[in-house]
Amino acid sequence: MEMKNLIEYISKALVDKPEEVIVTEIEGEQTSVIELKVAKEDLGKVIGKQGRTARAMRTILSASSTKLKKRSVLEIIE
Amino acid sequence: MDSYEFEGKTTEEAINNASRELKISPENLEFEIIEPGSAGIFGLVGIRKTKIRVTIKESDDDDDNFEDYEDLESFDSPREEREEAEKIDYEDDIDDEDDVDEEDSADDEEYISYLNIAINALDNILKLIPVETRVKGSCSKGKISLVIEGETSGILIGRKGKTLDALQYIINKIINKDTDKKIKVIIDSENYRERRIESLTEMAIKIGNKARKYKKPFSTSPLNPHDRRIVHLALKNVEKLETRSRGEGLLKRVVIIPKR
Repeated sequence: MEMKNLIEYISKALVDKPEEVIVTEIEGEQTSVIELKVAKEDLGKVIGKQGRTARAMRTILSASSTKLKKRSVLEIIE
Repeated sequence: MDSYEFEGKTTEEAINNASRELKISPENLEFEIIEPGSAGIFGLVGIRKTKIRVTIKESDDDDDNFEDYEDLESFDSPREEREEAEKIDYEDDIDDEDDVDEEDSADDEEYISYLNIAINALDNILKLIPVETRVKGSCSKGKISLVIEGETSGILIGRKGKTLDALQYIINKIINKDTDKKIKVIIDSENYRERRIESLTEMAIKIGNKARKYKKPFSTSPLNPHDRRIVHLALKNVEKLETRSRGEGLLKRVVIIPKR
C-alpha cells in the first residue's frame, strides 16, 4: 500500500486535476505493478519532458522498493 | 555545411562511394570515421563496414572546426564513445544555473510560504517511502534549500545522487506548478552535494593531468548538467586545458582536451 500511496501523493501534487488521479496497485508474489491514470490534459505533467518526471517518479519508487524489499513497476496508463 | 554518411568495406571504399555519390573528387572531401570497420575473423565472422561522415569542403574557414574533430579522432577511447563526437556544446552547461538569481525575486513572505509547501511536500513523500527523517529548510532570494536529516542510510541519495536528484526534480515541479516565477529548490542530505563537488573536482583534475601527460583528450563518464558544470568550472582557470561537452540528451560526457 505504501508504494501506491507514494505515487498517488506525488501525482496529485503534480497535476491540475488531482481528483482525476487513479492509482491501483496489483500485487504479485514478488512484484507490485502500480498503475497510474490521470486526466488526459495532465498526462504531460506526470510524464514530463522526455519522460523526466516519469523517470524521477520511478527512481523514488525504486528507493521505496529497496526500503520495503519488494520489487515494483510503475506504469502510466493513457 | 552539409554532411553525409557513407559505408564501405574499407575506409577507401567508403570514401570512393562518397566521392561517386556526391560527384566530388576525394581530395575535396573532408571525412571523419564514425565507425571503423572490421575484416572479421578469417573474413567470415564479425565483418563490419566502415562508416564515415563526409563534409564537403567549402572554404578554408572550415579548417578551424576540423581541428577539433582531429583531436577527437585520436582518442584513446572505445568506439562507442566516438559515435556521437559531433555534438559539441558546453556553454549551456555553464549558463544552466546562474540565470535564476537574476530573475525578479518574490518578497520574503511569499518565499516563506513556498518554503513551507516544499518542506511539507518532501516530508510527506519521505514518510510514504517510508523513512524516518526530518526536513529542515531555508530560503534566500530565488532559492529554497532543503536538508534531509535522520535515517537516510544512502537510499535517499542513490547511486551518483540519483534519488536525491529525483526528489529535487519532483519538488521543483510541485513548487513551480502554479507560479511564473522560477523558484529553485535544492535538496541535500548528509552533505552529499558538497562531497560530490569535491569528488568531481578531484576527478576533473586527475583526468586533466592525464590529458596533459599523454597530450590526448580524455573524457569523463556520462554526467548530468549540474555535474558537468562542476567539471567545467573546476578546469576553467587551468591553462592549457579546454573542456567541452559531448553527446546528446541529458547525460553527456565532458571531454578534457590539452591545448597545443
